[in-house]
Amino acid sequence: MKIMMCPLNGPRNISEFTYGGEFKPMPDPVNCSDAEWADYVFNTDNLAGVVREWWMHTPSSYWFLAERHTVTDEILRTFDPKELFTHRVDFNTPQEIAG
Amino acid sequence: MTSLKAHELLTPPCRLIDQTDLPRVGFRGAHSAEYLTARGFTLPDAPNRATAQADGSWVARLSQNEYLLLGSPADQGQRIADEEARWELDHRAHYLLPRQDSHACVLLSGTVIAQVMAKLCGVDLSFPAFKPGAVAQTAAARINVIVIHSGSVEAPAFHILWDRASKDYFDGALRDALEEFGGVGLADRA
Repeated sequence: MKIMMCPLNGPRNISEFTYGGEFKPMPDPVNCSDAEWADYVFNTDNLAGVVREWWMHTPSSYWFLAERHTVTDEILRTFDPKELFTHRVDFNTPQEIAG
Repeated sequence: MTSLKAHELLTPPCRLIDQTDLPRVGFRGAHSAEYLTARGFTLPDAPNRATAQADGSWVARLSQNEYLLLGSPADQGQRIADEEARWELDHRAHYLLPRQDSHACVLLSGTVIAQVMAKLCGVDLSFPAFKPGAVAQTAAARINVIVIHSGSVEAPAFHILWDRASKDYFDGALRDALEEFGGVGLADRA
């Protein structure tokens, strides 16, 4: 069984993990265009090489980031999202208009 | 003369006690540690560690800010049930995670439990890889489980929690694994 290193739980069988998609910086949801938002939500780069991805350790529901080579499937590094998310993100959403 | 067989029956190599009906609750948030400490709980100092309380309850730390509280058989879990009842949402980041109906819970004890679990689980739960006070969140018998080492080196004991909807399934898997080691299952709580 392939082993992945979970930053919270340590080495675990790959079957305990769920893939969460490519890691992409989120555009400002209030001010970006519809095309930018659609690109963020639906499109992926699908690079052949080292990519940064979201993964979840399913038994603990813990989300983290992994750097993986998509050709060799080698996992180079896993780390807590705190490394990148250093401060709180506030969403200043405009008032939703009902109906 | 004491027959060896009778002695074995008195002290089985492993015992399974169902604690599903004992109260348990979870709390999560940046202020949970402060709140629980003020409520008189001793908290583990790192994630995936568990600490016994003076009254026999257990506090397991499942992540940086999440705690799971297991009731003590001594007071039928009353203290933990009261903690769940007195929680209110306020300005603090301290959120209730109801765990009574979501999880099944058993206490597996005895000297051979690491071997029993090795039949079901890929993670090494034997000493010294898995020490008293350690917590493993992993998969056993192909479902998600939380294993808490609540015993000692001489008398190992694991609290095992899993999805309550799969109670019969995992109970069966555990009893099947126990059979090889002469385990005795008790239906009632401790």
